[in-house]
Amino acid sequence: MAELKTPQELGTEKIGKLLIRYAIPAMIAMLASSLYNIVDRAFIGHGVGPMALSGLAVTFPLMNLSAALGSMVGVGSGTMISLKLGQKDHESAQMLLGNSVTLNILIGVLFGVFSLIFINPILTLFGATDVTIGYAREYMVIILAGNAFTHLYLGINCILRAAGHPNKAMVATIGTVLLNTLLDYLFIMVFHWGIKGAAIATVISQVLAFSWQCYQLSDRSELIHLKKGTYRLRGDLVKNMLTIGLSPCLMNAAACFVVLLINRGLLKYGSDVAIGAYSIVNSFGFLIVMMVMGFNQAMQPIAGYNYGARQFDRVLRVLYLTMFFGTIVTTLGFAITEFLPGLCIRIFTDDPELTAIAMTGMKLTFLVFPLVGSQMVTGNFFQSIGMPGKSILMSLSRQLLLLIPFLIILPRYYGINGIWYSMPASDFLSVILGVSLLIPQVRKLKKMA
Amino acid sequence: MDKHYCICIGRKFCSGGRNVAAIVAEKLGVKVYDRDLLKKAAQETGFSEQFFAEADEEKTRKGLRSLFMTHMSSSNGLSNNYLSNESIFNMQSDAIRKIHETEDCVFIGRCADYVLRDSDRLLNVFIAADVNDRVARVMRHAGEDMTQSKALSLIEDIDRKRSSYYNYFTGRTWGDTAVYDICLNSTTLGYDKCADIIVSLAKEKLGI
Repeated sequence: MAELKTPQELGTEKIGKLLIRYAIPAMIAMLASSLYNIVDRAFIGHGVGPMALSGLAVTFPLMNLSAALGSMVGVGSGTMISLKLGQKDHESAQMLLGNSVTLNILIGVLFGVFSLIFINPILTLFGATDVTIGYAREYMVIILAGNAFTHLYLGINCILRAAGHPNKAMVATIGTVLLNTLLDYLFIMVFHWGIKGAAIATVISQVLAFSWQCYQLSDRSELIHLKKGTYRLRGDLVKNMLTIGLSPCLMNAAACFVVLLINRGLLKYGSDVAIGAYSIVNSFGFLIVMMVMGFNQAMQPIAGYNYGARQFDRVLRVLYLTMFFGTIVTTLGFAITEFLPGLCIRIFTDDPELTAIAMTGMKLTFLVFPLVGSQMVTGNFFQSIGMPGKSILMSLSRQLLLLIPFLIILPRYYGINGIWYSMPASDFLSVILGVSLLIPQVRKLKKMA
Repeated sequence: MDKHYCICIGRKFCSGGRNVAAIVAEKLGVKVYDRDLLKKAAQETGFSEQFFAEADEEKTRKGLRSLFMTHMSSSNGLSNNYLSNESIFNMQSDAIRKIHETEDCVFIGRCADYVLRDSDRLLNVFIAADVNDRVARVMRHAGEDMTQSKALSLIEDIDRKRSSYYNYFTGRTWGDTAVYDICLNSTTLGYDKCADIIVSLAKEKLGI
């Protein structure tokens, strides 16, 4: 994206072909990050035990928060660098790279230290109990100690993509997943380090990925490379980066709040084991959602370009096609989790109690998923045609605005099942919201086409 | 040395920058690119002109809306919808470079001075005027219901937008004397005198 040409093919090539071509790399990246979750949890579930899964799950809100801060710097610096490279202003791009490194270290270390100091109250707030806090702390202490590296690795990946090296970014992503899998096996299954092993594996693979990125960025013939004298923070650059990154940061932070509510609800109306069950259900949900996001990513440039070029018939066609693919993905996810839940859960655990709870959770959570695909595509569609307000309303409605009231009210009547019911309930309402926002928009587009 | 020269004129709102630009262009026999630039950019990219107009320098989005406006799409940097302010700016910059390659001209605003910063035939000018003068101009151009205080806040608002647009995209400071070759006050000098100064400086510096 460094040199942002407007590929005319977006306005002429067949929509189906374009969509597939853009979707494949996006899907691979998405798949890699969801596989990371599944692999980590599978090793912990089998190698350490069901309670360790619960311990891991109470760290999610904290991990979300850390990711939120990371995405703030990552998106901000990526956007700014892409802009500067587009202007052939290499000196500024270089400055931004150096500044983003410093900023990532600063935020990573501050967040890590702050969370380490208050680790016990934080984990308790997120749903840890006497049984699980040991696991959670053991895991989190190591993750937090390596927090600056996590931020650096993710931040530089954003920059690599922005600087026109999406393939290198992908190598880093996939490499991290593979390395983590290997180390997980070694540390948990062979060395029996327990949940600590998973954390060490994560940190080591990120440190290695970061070193590889540094090596890539130390090549002086590259347009931008790491350079002395660019690391001192400059107020105007920092301000621009953080302003740009604020919205993705807030969206991620919102996710943290929801997971916190879910964890606490599961604990109050269920048990520690239920939190572990949620981590299993959640990794499947994440996998399915990420696949749809892959198609959404592919739709963005196609819909955006054609909307800008006022080729509204093509805009509608890419919308329909993406909704079709999105629906296939979520329906498939629905079918697998609904009809083969046992198989899915066995990836993570053999424990009968955990399996029973996860089974119920899985069957209830994905009830209306066949409809969710089109809802997600709709939300992203508004984004691609330059209406982020509606887009944000849609994604917040499903994951936050509609979900929170359900999470608070339903468990009072249905106990722990109320928590699981909340998800299909908010999914369903948000589908209705999506349809009611989309229909007028489609009419408008049809009239203009 | 570049084949064609360009004169970039930055201006405070209602300082007569456009009038001065018109006189300069007439004296030199070249074209002024103001909003026409957007049309050109639209032609080059196949996008509608409306899009460039919506992201133009005085349309900077405010507050929360601007926060959420364009950057969600790039939240993982994998994708771009071509509608973000950054990509529109880049397309517009391409149009500016293209014009510079093909003809001598005067650019008004749109960060042309930054886009063409490496050109060796660039004259960078800033035009300001006394605030009373500008208020009077606004009131003359606007309808009956324009009051003095409304005019003043309009001026402040548009200046602020131009400044944040320029500073964001260029990393320079809008209106900072160090950025320009010359800064002129159209109240003290008058449009014609401003234009004369620019033309004679252009002849000297740009080798016309």
